[in-house]
Amino acid sequence: MDGNMLVTMFLVAFVLVGGALVFSHFIAPKSVNYQKFEPYECGIPTKGVSWLQFNVGYYLFAILFLVFDVETVFIYPWAVVMKEVGLVGYIEILIFFVILVLGLLYAWKKKALTWA
Amino acid sequence: MQLENFLLMRHELLLLLLALLVLVFEIFTDDGKIHKIIPWITGLFVLVTFAGFLPQTEGVLFGGMFRITGMQIMMKNILNVGVAIILLQSAVWLKKPENSGKISEYYILLLSTLIGMNFMISSGDFLMFYLGLELATIPMAVLAAFDRYRNNSAEAGIKLILSSALSSGILLFGLSMLYGMTGSIYFDAINANINQSPLMALSLIFFFAGMGFKISLVPFHLWTADVYEGAPVSVTSYLSVVSKGAAVFIFSIILFTVFDKLSGYWINMVYALAILTMTVGNLFAIRQKNMKRFLAFSSIAQAGFILLGILNASEFGMTTIMYFVLVYIFSNLGAFGVVSAISYFTGKENMDDYDSLYKNNPKLSLLLTISLFSLAGIPPFAGFFGKFFLFMSAASQGYYWLVFIAVLNATISLYYYLLPVKAMFINKSETPLPVIKSDVYTRIALILCAVGIFGVGFYSPVYEWIYQLVLQFGI
Repeated sequence: MDGNMLVTMFLVAFVLVGGALVFSHFIAPKSVNYQKFEPYECGIPTKGVSWLQFNVGYYLFAILFLVFDVETVFIYPWAVVMKEVGLVGYIEILIFFVILVLGLLYAWKKKALTWA
Repeated sequence: MQLENFLLMRHELLLLLLALLVLVFEIFTDDGKIHKIIPWITGLFVLVTFAGFLPQTEGVLFGGMFRITGMQIMMKNILNVGVAIILLQSAVWLKKPENSGKISEYYILLLSTLIGMNFMISSGDFLMFYLGLELATIPMAVLAAFDRYRNNSAEAGIKLILSSALSSGILLFGLSMLYGMTGSIYFDAINANINQSPLMALSLIFFFAGMGFKISLVPFHLWTADVYEGAPVSVTSYLSVVSKGAAVFIFSIILFTVFDKLSGYWINMVYALAILTMTVGNLFAIRQKNMKRFLAFSSIAQAGFILLGILNASEFGMTTIMYFVLVYIFSNLGAFGVVSAISYFTGKENMDDYDSLYKNNPKLSLLLTISLFSLAGIPPFAGFFGKFFLFMSAASQGYYWLVFIAVLNATISLYYYLLPVKAMFINKSETPLPVIKSDVYTRIALILCAVGIFGVGFYSPVYEWIYQLVLQFGI
């Protein structure tokens, strides 16, 4: 790929993206109303402000959920090839489990599992 | 694959074991007794550092994703030495009551970043490289925000994570273009398929910019001073020495082995950035009154000097880089050790507070003096040899103008490195800082730094040893 090709590709990309934005700005029908700028809440009118603080406990639960969610992602491929990888693969997945369990115990010790 | 093949990753496995050990300690000890692990972990890490020097076989793991050679083992050992000194220096700070609930977290995060750096150095493809880079970066942001109730520290954490995210994005964009053109992420395959096309040069530029953030080269250095000032002192010293050293190592390995056919492009970039980094770092360092900011800008300037070694894409250039980083670890950690001791015992971090320090604390003043002399590159100390080899490697490629500018910059840097020395020995102060009784960990760390500053400079086999290892690696 030579330099001209590269420049052309960049130009085409800019023109396409910029053109689409400009074009839709001019031809799109415009409707301005109050509901359009509301934060989405199941079609019901929003009460109060949407920028509010929420309990950090949700965050801890989300992290823990993510850890164990990702765990299954790693275990499925291992389960598929379990016979081929044999004992070595078994030991590897055990090490993986031990590290995860240590993480759970750590979260337990730090009281991340109790809703305070 | 056999299990014993994993022994090739001995450095990483030992660090991982140590980190898990800390975790087990944390889980099964009562909250009030966790400070008892400090001497154990420090001692065990020193053992791990020694174990790193044991002879080890070379080889390749995971189908070429992980390579280990004598040179990479040496790089990891250099980083381990730096971390051992940092752990010794941070012991007294960790014992503070406000850190009592997060002692083990400090060790786990620090060891995780070190594991990431080790994987990054040993990487044989860009996937492993990127994973290591992220493992070295994300826990680092948590470490920078370690004093989370101090606004500065929280700000440092968020600045570090945002600028790292941006730089990782830029780096990944470059790598994705590289993958698109060569069809591989393995270093060898990319090197075989690389050509001089402009798109290839563009991907090199993105890669270069992404790594420039991590090494804090000048157009990408803006996060450095704020993060270094806000983070706790031991984290700052870790960032400025070990993290930067690891990034420089892998940066030069990739430039020398993957992008060697594009050296026509990157030599010019390195040339320009070396001048910019040295000059801007030095000029800003002159104006600093806070010792941590001062050391931050001095470390930017030192990164500019390291670039001189990268200009010489040969075994000689690589050796000078590794030797300089080793010397820089001892000199900079010596300076940071004194700053951290004074900051811990008196809470003072400004240069004015160092007036007449010599009256009450002659040993600390002397140590800070030799560390600063070594950073400035004054002959009997190791820093002189480090800089001398870097200048020599650039001059052997014919970059005389660059060496001339570098020498000018070294002269400028001499001015500001002497400012704290002048404050300590000449400036009169009505209320000099009181006598500081430092603890045994800090003392051992400072003695190690002093031994390193003299030892590495006078004992020439160190340089020869590194050179032999680099020759075996072959660039």
